[in-house]
Amino acid sequence: MSTLKDLILGMADVDNVKRHVSDALRSGEEPSKVIDVLNDALEEVGRRYESGEYFLSELMMAGILATEATKILDAHMAGGKRSKIAKVVMGTVKGDIHDIGKNIVVMMLRAADFEVLDLGVDVPPEKFVETIRNEGAQIVGMSALLTSTVDQMKIVIDAFTKQGVRGKVKVIVGGRPVTEEFAREIGADGYAEDAVEAIKVVRDFVQLGGARLE
Amino acid sequence: MNKRERVLRTLELREPDRVPITEFGIEVPLMEAITGKKAPTSTSEQTQVTADRELEKGRIGFKVECYQKLDFDAIVIDLSAPEDWIPRKNPNGTMVDLWGRVLMLDQRSRAWVPYSTVFQAPEDFDRFELPNPHDPGWAFATEYARREAGEEVAVATFIRDPFAHVWEMFTPLNFVRWMYQKPQLIRRAIEEVAKFNIEIIKSVAEAGADFIISGGDYCEEKGPMVPLRFFDEVIFPNLRMQVDAARGRGVKLIKHTDGNVNPILKGLAAIVDGLHSLDPTAGVDIGEVKEHYGDRLILIGNVAVDNLAKNSREEIVEETKGCIRKASPGGGHILSSSNTWASGAKLENCLAMVETGRKYGTYPIRV
Repeated sequence: MSTLKDLILGMADVDNVKRHVSDALRSGEEPSKVIDVLNDALEEVGRRYESGEYFLSELMMAGILATEATKILDAHMAGGKRSKIAKVVMGTVKGDIHDIGKNIVVMMLRAADFEVLDLGVDVPPEKFVETIRNEGAQIVGMSALLTSTVDQMKIVIDAFTKQGVRGKVKVIVGGRPVTEEFAREIGADGYAEDAVEAIKVVRDFVQLGGARLE
Repeated sequence: MNKRERVLRTLELREPDRVPITEFGIEVPLMEAITGKKAPTSTSEQTQVTADRELEKGRIGFKVECYQKLDFDAIVIDLSAPEDWIPRKNPNGTMVDLWGRVLMLDQRSRAWVPYSTVFQAPEDFDRFELPNPHDPGWAFATEYARREAGEEVAVATFIRDPFAHVWEMFTPLNFVRWMYQKPQLIRRAIEEVAKFNIEIIKSVAEAGADFIISGGDYCEEKGPMVPLRFFDEVIFPNLRMQVDAARGRGVKLIKHTDGNVNPILKGLAAIVDGLHSLDPTAGVDIGEVKEHYGDRLILIGNVAVDNLAKNSREEIVEETKGCIRKASPGGGHILSSSNTWASGAKLENCLAMVETGRKYGTYPIRV
């Protein structure tokens, strides 16, 4: 399966990646092995992006390719819904309709085999609460671009406490005006400065069950 | 020396009497606070949202009044829509602009923001009729601003950079997918917008613009959004053609981009006349840019827009003084924030930036 990683690192044609995954599954490869290769590829892409070797477009394209590969895996498991790593609710907070950063994180999470419920932009606190209750999500990601809307994140976290769902979810926040200090102040469990960091934090939530903020 | 003379001398990389001051944009709630008046209409920093000339007069007049109240040296104005355009409104409240972008109204800033696109597949671009730069009316805002503001203030026209324009037209995810899967499509789309811009540059220069600003980001906080070879092969050749068109009409072209531009600074400096925003939060040091490129680049910036929102007045005063100290000596510097005055910014801080600019920006610089 090393070729799949090479295809993703080389920004290969989408159809080529899909065909490669289909062929591997047909020849008896375990889906979990394919997932491992995809995660390995994404981690390498993340490393290259953080070091300045790769640019944003390459990070995004690798996410697109990995997402297409996971769709082939989903289709292959025809007997039932394939279980994902965890369920993540994502949204841009109320009053803010900017979504470029949030959309990249959503795509990268899906590529990393998380189930993502994307609530879109201008999401009111009650919508986050309702989705946690109805969908049983374990993680909530909130994004904001504007200094004037970033305080909505605390309002959402306070709503979680008030509505009795705070203990059920880990909360990660990000966006241009968000800092680790701010995340700590509002009671979030994690903070990420970019999509690569967001995936690491969410993985830690699942694997370690804990927060990254110190 | 009047405001226009001050700006023009700065654009020639010479010292005027004092450092000119302006902003590339001020969000509606702040303009209302500055003028004490209600904005006549919603607007957009990225595109045209109305062809109604009475609304346009109201919008432009309101902005001119705001800039006059601030005593800014340059009025920055965008393009109007062509005369016969009718915006397509969707039942869900969104609007489709001339470029196929689906816009949503941000209630907070009362600005229309790109949200989605009509381009769902690469073939959609082949079927799409791009706007015609020869249609009458694109330069209406420039003409009207010049008329309202008079001859003693500089007028700059803000156009959209082809890369950023296509990035938004297609949405970032589609752009990236097609950039790798259909590279000729992306190249063609950028070339088409560049050709459009070249004609528009000629029109707005004739309408009275003193300089052109090409807005749209090339970079994010970590660095360029696309590989450097894409700049060399696609972005820079198209940028150069627009700069040549501007120079051919006797006006300069300033490139605006947020983010960490350090990896592409050398390439940009070889093409454009000036740079904004020299984003300090992304690690751009205006002093270093001045040191290396001050003999050929006009620098516009760079009080951090985030700091205008969260820092104290005293901190903004010190930051502005530092900015003048590093960028103003020798001329070629226009003081502004590192983006626009967004509505999250404290008005007190914005005004502190201007007051400090006036106090310490007299040549020779002694701050």
